[in-house]
Amino acid sequence: MLLLSRCLRTPAKNLRRFVPQRPFHDQADHKNVRIVRILEKRIEERKRLFSELSEEMSSPDDISRLKQLKESEPLQVAWDDLVRTRQLLNETDSLLSDSDEAMRALAVEEHDSLGKSLAELVETTIPSLLIPPSTTSHLSAMLELKSGVGGSEASLFLSNLLRMYLRLSNVRRWKANVVSQNDSDGGGIKDAIVEVKGEGVFEALRWESGVHRVQRVPATEASGRVHTSTVAIIVLPLMEETDNHNEELFNMEDVKIEVMRSRGAGGQHVNKTESAVRLTHIPTGITVSMQDERSQHQNKRRAFTVLRSRLMDQKLTREIAERRATRQNLVRTADRSEKIRTYNYAQERVTDHRIGLTLKNLSSVLEGDGLQDFLDALQKDHDETVLEDMLSGD
Amino acid sequence: MHSKLIAALVQQLGPAQARQEFRWMLKHSEHSLPDMVRRRCLGEPLQYILGSQPFGPLNLLIRPPVLIPRPETEDWVLKLADRISTPLKPPKYLLDLGTGSGCIPLLLCHLLPPGTLHAHGVDISPHAIQLATDNAALYGIPPHSPENTASNTFKTSLGNLLAPSFCDDAKLQPPYDIVTSNPPYISWNEYLELPRSVANYEDPKALFGGPTGLDFYHAIARLVRRDGFLRPGAIVALEIGHEQGQDVEHIMRVEGQLHDTEVWSDPWGKQRTVLAYR
Ligand SMILES: C[S@@+](CC[C@H](N)C(=O)[O-])C[C@H]1O[C@@H](n2cnc3c(N)ncnc32)[C@H](O)[C@@H]1O
Repeated sequence: MLLLSRCLRTPAKNLRRFVPQRPFHDQADHKNVRIVRILEKRIEERKRLFSELSEEMSSPDDISRLKQLKESEPLQVAWDDLVRTRQLLNETDSLLSDSDEAMRALAVEEHDSLGKSLAELVETTIPSLLIPPSTTSHLSAMLELKSGVGGSEASLFLSNLLRMYLRLSNVRRWKANVVSQNDSDGGGIKDAIVEVKGEGVFEALRWESGVHRVQRVPATEASGRVHTSTVAIIVLPLMEETDNHNEELFNMEDVKIEVMRSRGAGGQHVNKTESAVRLTHIPTGITVSMQDERSQHQNKRRAFTVLRSRLMDQKLTREIAERRATRQNLVRTADRSEKIRTYNYAQERVTDHRIGLTLKNLSSVLEGDGLQDFLDALQKDHDETVLEDMLSGD
Repeated sequence: MHSKLIAALVQQLGPAQARQEFRWMLKHSEHSLPDMVRRRCLGEPLQYILGSQPFGPLNLLIRPPVLIPRPETEDWVLKLADRISTPLKPPKYLLDLGTGSGCIPLLLCHLLPPGTLHAHGVDISPHAIQLATDNAALYGIPPHSPENTASNTFKTSLGNLLAPSFCDDAKLQPPYDIVTSNPPYISWNEYLELPRSVANYEDPKALFGGPTGLDFYHAIARLVRRDGFLRPGAIVALEIGHEQGQDVEHIMRVEGQLHDTEVWSDPWGKQRTVLAYR
């Protein structure tokens, strides 16, 4: 521990030792130092909590202290790991200049592997422990796709995107279900709603929210001119009927339920299936129409799921905005009107404008595999922002 | 091939409905698609072609000529389930008159806590009795027996509600806590105006309620006023035609001697259910 804290207090050159195998930018070095410093603070907090425990564990505060100690145990494990690795690294240091060549070779190898472990600890393990657990990590997702500019070409592109997400779900073993779909006369899809169920799907897909743009020659275009059309996607946290924080989302009295078409005399006089329903949440003005199921009851349930998901989404957005107002916060909320990605058929490439990533394999993206690369990159980008946020707030 | 089939359906149903129904047909790939479309274009109800109809959370088997459960019925039965679910101890006994597919008692059995409802469905049509029995089996709702107190139960019997000997024929066992019925309520005049898919395919016996459409309400009133037929606090819930609210309320008060009545509207704003309380 002594060794380590000495290191921590000596910036610049000594710090290079933390991750000796990789040339580091000063900025990255600096970041690692800050990460370790935060961890150290947490460990000191643990020590304090420990010392505050009453001898016979009789005070009611002890319970909460014990709880906190239990919760931060992984931090202690990581810290101990860090100290031990650092110590071993120091010991190997002296062997690097050993007179025996075999010994030196061994030491180099050992040093190398210890360096890697240390880098892994500081760059991955510890940050992931320090970042506060997300409250949405268990949620499934609901994707709303709407065709934008470009008429029937946009609708055709929407069906391409829909297929892309269904394929990805298949690969990831998520359960995807198209709950609503309006076909357009030109063969495409005007709008669609898809439920994608699985652990962590919302967090995996949430950066898909925004405007997706396609540049290609439409099949129907004789002149061979490239058109640009768009599809807007909104990814919502899926709020199922059984989720327990549903109550607080809305009051039943605030929801107006309407059936869509008139049925004349109704009852025994009519056996045509007319099951469409529309919900209006009066305080927010959100309306949801659902007609894809054969029973009104099922359409109503589906519509309520969409309503809850939209309300939950508003709540999350509000919370992020509030946090941003109280302290500096770099974490963005998805801007739905932002053009986030371009699919260029002529050049066989897909570009995500937020992270400046281009994949030169359009078909692999549309088949779902390439899309995963975008998701990973966006997730990484997000994690870094959250970490940056935490560091700057400390 | 699909576009041709859809075009045929659009002719019959208009574009929006055609697209919707075509998608539902696609999900029933056990039947031949062209065959389903051809039958639909001749006017056969979609529910008979697909062989099922969702009713609340249930998906019931449907076979001609038994009446297809309607969304209006689904709506009031769900409301009724809410209404009777609270004070439900000890178990209640329910009689459903003209049970058809069994939709009303089976949905209630499905929604209410196990062991709180014992239902008896009666119908004049052997087709209906067979279908209701099949639907009960589909959802694992057993017939009533002394050993079976832990589940909700459902049994059926044949009987003619309009016959004087109905109680004995149908082996009724009053007193009942709940009487439900969606009896035939279409009058002579209205019968002539019915859409083809109703008049040509659904059992006329399931629809036709006598010259005024009110025959069955009179018969039900005579039944429930009998001594010991209803338990105190019993509920009688009857589906009605869109203009029969006043008449049926009157029949229940005067002939049925149930003085406390109310009328529920359906989601389309039409009067649809008369409730009467003992
Ligand atoms: C309108 S349907 C209702 C079916 C089912 N309860 C529903 O809501 O879908 C009326 C039912 O009453 C039955 N029914 C007609 N006349 C009857 C009679 N005289 N006695 C008993 N049942 C009769 C018909 O066979 C039919 O199943």
